[in-house]
Amino acid sequence: MTTDALAAAASGQSIDLPTPAFDEYRPPSAALVGDCVHCGFCLPSCPTYVLWGEEMDSPRGRIDLMKQGLEGDPLTDSMVGHFDACLGCMACVTACPSGVQYDRLIETTRAQVERRHQRTRRDKALRGAIFALFPYPRRLRALRGPLRGWQRIGGDRLLRRTGLLERIAPSLAAMERLAPRLGKAERLPERTAAIGTRRATVGMLTGCVQREFFPAVNAATVRVLAAEGCDVVVPAKQGCCGALSVHNGREPEALRFARALIDSFENAGVEWVVVNAAGCGSTMKEYAELLRDDPAYAVRAVAFATKVRDVSEILVELGPVATRHPLPITAAYHDACHLAHAQGVRAQPRALLNGIPGLQLREIADPAICCGSAGIYNVLFPEPARELGDRKAANVLATGAELLVTANPGCLMQVAASVERAGETIALAHTVEVLDASIQGRPVASLTGGGTSS
Amino acid sequence: MSSTHGTTKTAGAVVGPSAPERSGPTGDSPQVRAVRRRVQELLPAKTVITDHARLRTYECDGLAHYRVTPALAVLADSVDDVATTVRICAEERVPFVARGSGTGLSGGALPRADGVLIVMSRMRAIREVSAEDQRAVVEPGVINLDVTKAAAAHGYYYAPDPSSQQICSIGGNVAENSGGAHCLKYGFTSNHVTGAEFVAPDGSVVELGGRALDAPGYDLLGTVIGSEGTLGIATAVTVRLTRTPEHVVTVLAGFPSTDDAGAATSAIIGAGIVPAAIEMMDALAIEAAEAAVHCNYPEGAGAVLVVELDGPEVEVRQEFDQVERLCRDNGAFAFRVANDDVERALIWRGRKSAFAAVGRISPDYIVQDGVIPRTSLPKVLRAIAELSASSAVRVANVFHAGDGNLHPLVLFDDSEEGQGEAAEEISGKILDLCIEAGGSITGEHGVGMDKSAYMPRMFSDADLDTMQMVRCAFDPNNISNPGKIFPTPRLCGEVPGRHKGEHPLAKSGIAEIF
Amino acid sequence: MSVETVAGPALASACDDVREAVDGDSVDGVPPGHVARPASTDETAGLLRTAAELDLAVVARGAGTKLTWGTPPERVDLVLDLSRMDAVLDHAAGDLVAVAQAGCPIDRLQETLAAAGQRLAIDGTLPGTTLGGGIATNSSGPRRMLNGTFRDLMIGTTVVRADGVIAKSGGRVVKNVAGYDLGKLMTGSFGTLGVVTEAVFRLHPLPTASQVLAVDVRDATTAAALVAAVVHSDVVPTAVEVDWPAGVVAVLLEGTEQGVDSRTAATRTLLTGAGASTVDIAEQLPPWWGHHPEGVLLKLTCSLSAVGGLLQEAARQGVAVRGSAGAGVLYGGLPADAEVAAAVTVLRAFCLAAGGSLVVLAAPADVRSTVDVWGPVPALELMRAVKGQFDPHRRLSPGRFVGGI
Ligand SMILES: Cc1cc2nc3c(=O)[nH]c(=O)nc-3n(C[C@H](O)[C@H](O)[C@H](O)COP(=O)(O)OP(=O)(O)OC[C@H]3O[C@@H](n4cnc5c(N)ncnc54)[C@H](O)[C@@H]3O)c2cc1C
Ligand code: SF4
Ligand code: SF4
Repeated sequence: MTTDALAAAASGQSIDLPTPAFDEYRPPSAALVGDCVHCGFCLPSCPTYVLWGEEMDSPRGRIDLMKQGLEGDPLTDSMVGHFDACLGCMACVTACPSGVQYDRLIETTRAQVERRHQRTRRDKALRGAIFALFPYPRRLRALRGPLRGWQRIGGDRLLRRTGLLERIAPSLAAMERLAPRLGKAERLPERTAAIGTRRATVGMLTGCVQREFFPAVNAATVRVLAAEGCDVVVPAKQGCCGALSVHNGREPEALRFARALIDSFENAGVEWVVVNAAGCGSTMKEYAELLRDDPAYAVRAVAFATKVRDVSEILVELGPVATRHPLPITAAYHDACHLAHAQGVRAQPRALLNGIPGLQLREIADPAICCGSAGIYNVLFPEPARELGDRKAANVLATGAELLVTANPGCLMQVAASVERAGETIALAHTVEVLDASIQGRPVASLTGGGTSS
Repeated sequence: MSSTHGTTKTAGAVVGPSAPERSGPTGDSPQVRAVRRRVQELLPAKTVITDHARLRTYECDGLAHYRVTPALAVLADSVDDVATTVRICAEERVPFVARGSGTGLSGGALPRADGVLIVMSRMRAIREVSAEDQRAVVEPGVINLDVTKAAAAHGYYYAPDPSSQQICSIGGNVAENSGGAHCLKYGFTSNHVTGAEFVAPDGSVVELGGRALDAPGYDLLGTVIGSEGTLGIATAVTVRLTRTPEHVVTVLAGFPSTDDAGAATSAIIGAGIVPAAIEMMDALAIEAAEAAVHCNYPEGAGAVLVVELDGPEVEVRQEFDQVERLCRDNGAFAFRVANDDVERALIWRGRKSAFAAVGRISPDYIVQDGVIPRTSLPKVLRAIAELSASSAVRVANVFHAGDGNLHPLVLFDDSEEGQGEAAEEISGKILDLCIEAGGSITGEHGVGMDKSAYMPRMFSDADLDTMQMVRCAFDPNNISNPGKIFPTPRLCGEVPGRHKGEHPLAKSGIAEIF
Repeated sequence: MSVETVAGPALASACDDVREAVDGDSVDGVPPGHVARPASTDETAGLLRTAAELDLAVVARGAGTKLTWGTPPERVDLVLDLSRMDAVLDHAAGDLVAVAQAGCPIDRLQETLAAAGQRLAIDGTLPGTTLGGGIATNSSGPRRMLNGTFRDLMIGTTVVRADGVIAKSGGRVVKNVAGYDLGKLMTGSFGTLGVVTEAVFRLHPLPTASQVLAVDVRDATTAAALVAAVVHSDVVPTAVEVDWPAGVVAVLLEGTEQGVDSRTAATRTLLTGAGASTVDIAEQLPPWWGHHPEGVLLKLTCSLSAVGGLLQEAARQGVAVRGSAGAGVLYGGLPADAEVAAAVTVLRAFCLAAGGSLVVLAAPADVRSTVDVWGPVPALELMRAVKGQFDPHRRLSPGRFVGGI
């Protein structure tokens, strides 16, 4: 009971008992909450704890807040604030020796928050705008067109002055500034044949942001997979995987996206569904859990989820056949949270990079800490995102590497923006782009040339 | 009050009947209100936490069984924040409790419903690393491992290494006099802290010790270390840095039984070797670790020893040969050596995961912490086994064998009627065994809230009274983390010019006057 | 009846060895009334209870080697001579632990321990020094660099309080965090808080081999460089000592024969690299090793990097310095007829700036009256409060300690 309520009770006034935080429909599991032994081992890898040093903005504290909710405490603004501030980076899941499934907990909590919490009008509008834009490749493309136009006529100054773009996506803006000549988004063929003996038939997710802002990554993925003996199928009708919606508690929307994606790959005749964006892959691997209550999709979701592989996983599983040409370059590999923490994929990208003759791999300090990109986090919470980005940029620059390699478009944009803010530059590339350059025998300059990969 | 709970694999207050009320009736007394108003006036808004949901995230430390919501929390950013808060508390006679990272396992940082929780986790600047002086000056919220990270480039490290070193704070280490696997050779926090900036319970800021050794006057620093926050709050700590050893070898030896492993331990120590660490796990603990991290310990082992030797290379190699021979002489049937950091991490992984891993073989458990003279190991372990057999309560043993610090993990399933109580009882009896063997009720987790009731079994009234004389000197009004360590508060007597007449605590029957 | 006439019989009823004091019993020039030699902790408690009843001021005495350290007591009625309590009560070799009475000379304890190949890793700096005396003054020698001092190696204590109550803290196990560590409070308290009657120590194995490397060196900068080279290396010295302005830096290595041999070679290389022209290697410790310099005795401490500067400054002030350059704890000596006050002022300023302190440990009364013996002592109010609790009537060594405690 709050002190106000106590005072009211004492003075004989009637009081309304607060509504408990969670309702019956998929509340965070009390058993999973109970798995937390309060050891605190997750705290140092939690980006918000690193920034603020406060219990309520740590995994342990957030689990405590869930526990309070389960005990009947109301869903207060303060509680919601701390759930919202979670980046969903899942570093805490990696760190926890007791195997606490924080990922499950925060997902169910967020769905409850979206359903039951009254957000401020401003917050609602911002979230609405984001979700009307990001999951839709076509709309993103529309945004990108004008950007390129504006750039040509020097209008990006205007954009910067209004601050609109800065608010919606500071890293997109920085990316645009970094990328003087955005490549043309080429259409990928629906089917690309394996080079040499066919070892597998794989489907490929093109992703929303990836497709629109980093088309070169998708093209490189197809080339590398084909070179390693895969028939690559790219279903034309595929949409968003629903990752952003899942991570922000927009469950109905997420379910819609998931069903649609299963539909588009189900009859493509592929053994694996390969993903090159970490955030998408981690969500798709969880479709079984997401759709477990949907009689029409539950079984199909299990089948789909077991086929999902990050591109680095499948390449290591298959083993190399294509010749690697030397790339004499120093590269720092940045662990994308949704690859390292959510999927446990750390060794594979490093193994692939280490397999390139001449490439010298450098480790970045504090690798477990998120760069602050975290889906749309940097749009909703630009300040902490920027601080995290700055920390990451400093650690990246400290490696002295010429090239930063990572496996997520969000991370690339975020770190690029932060490096730029620090007044420095570093070339950026996705893991498959580096592999592609090596397999195709392209020179180092093809990666470092324009200061960006695109 | 019977209270020996350790970390349990349960979220709620389930073990034992004695958990304090979550919120006391005095949480909103005029004094507390005055403190709240005054700190809000003087400190930045974000520093003072009054929101109920936020406060509740500070209800407990690593011993989640005890939970109390503090009346308010101050997230200090500076020594001034701490001193201001403590001064106001002193003037209003409101208790305060310091908190570091909240990993304590004895309820030391358990808040007071009628008091202020002063959280040090935001004060985490490493102010200085001076390899040439072998010192670092750090704020109390700095994480233990971060000191080592900061010193590593200079060829130095911070020696005390509690298993929680990745998150526990230096301030908490100072308060608990924490040690780790390597304190067998290198000692505890008290041997590695040379100075502190300290806020006394009246709000004054004093320097204890210094950068150099042997500061003149009483060794108040040595007294404050290990006092569990009951004498005041450290706001900066000067630590000694230790040279990174030239050579390190870690070995894993599998034995048929704990008796054999214990004999090997005695033989190693008896040979004049001081290893950096000797850790033992019994069969049940090995089973748990295997389940959790697949550490691949020797199959069929009734016990394993992890022995780490460090120092100059020539000596380490010599000692290694001896250790191998002594282990084999005492029945070791498997002997593995780690030669690099990766292999070393593999060996340690099983040991370090042991506490948490036990969750895989039992829904609930209590982590006990007791010490016995090393030579009593076989005897006490047998007694624990008998206790376990006669009560059908399983006990897994993980411990720092080199210094006889036992961590029996008492397993139970709280959903089964009566199991919690049975586990409690065994856990308590294990402490009795430690006391009987001439040991201690705690080697590293502290007395805190959890074991204050056991203090009279180890110390006489006169001993405890004498300790509390120190408490009275620092904190005559008993406001600094009251209720911890000592089962009964001591009244501080007639200090000239101070309170006259019957003391309110004595009147209410809470305290006796010694 | 006057206290003096009552005191004798009352004390005698508490202890069978009580006598009137003679000239040699004076404590730093202050004559006591009686001397009692208790045989046990209980007898000590009885004596202190009697002293409390009669308001007698009490000074405990071991071998009496350091009674002139610090400041003289304001008054002494009873000297508690602990020389009968000199037993090694237990040596649990398997646990590397020993228990001894406070009156036991350190050397005697070491003999007992050595029989089992162990030692208490503390040097007895003055011949005959007892454990109690060492604890009360926190005296230490060269080996403190590696092993620490009484405060680090004492794991349990039995103390008799000013009111005669017996209190224990710590225990017989090395790892133990139950309750306050009263042992640390007693260490270096100059007998002003209680009388330590028994103590428990953690032990170390005796090394099987040792070597001393000594370098003659003229200038302090080179001396500091030699010290730094060894201190910031992997050779794990047990001690790094200086003798200045005699001009010697000496390094003690202890361990196994093979180990010491290889580290000796490594150390020689380090020393040569840091500017040593010749390095003398011997198994014997040099004659000055661990001995305090002559004259007015100072204790100087500073941060490690300031040791070179301190040597220079001391030489300029005519102060001879010996001690642990590797720990930053040194002892200085200068003739009583020198400009003691001026030297103390200058050197104290240096030590304070270097994070340390200067204490005038021992000096003739007329010299002592010209200097501030302890220098600035932070947290003095808390120390007075501690004294106020333990000995509110100021009966234990009154005036012997900082701030007139
Ligand atoms: C999995 C696990 C393993 C552990 N292993 C070990 C181990 O091997 N060895 C060991 O010794 N301990 C161990 N611990 C216990 C714990 O980590 C230590 O006691 C640690 O020192 C507590 O630090 P903290 O910052 O979490 O302090 P907290 O738990 O926040 O506080 C502990 C005590 O310190 C006081 N305090 C905190 N900060 C200050 C300050 N600045 N000034 C004064 N008082 C203060 C509090 O009031 C409280 O009494 C372990 C704990 C866990 C969960
Ligand atoms: S998901 Fe990331 S931000 Fe959220 S609690 Fe876990 S570590 Fe912190
Ligand atoms: S590491 Fe796991 S068990 Fe420990 S506090 Fe975090 S979530 Fe809880």
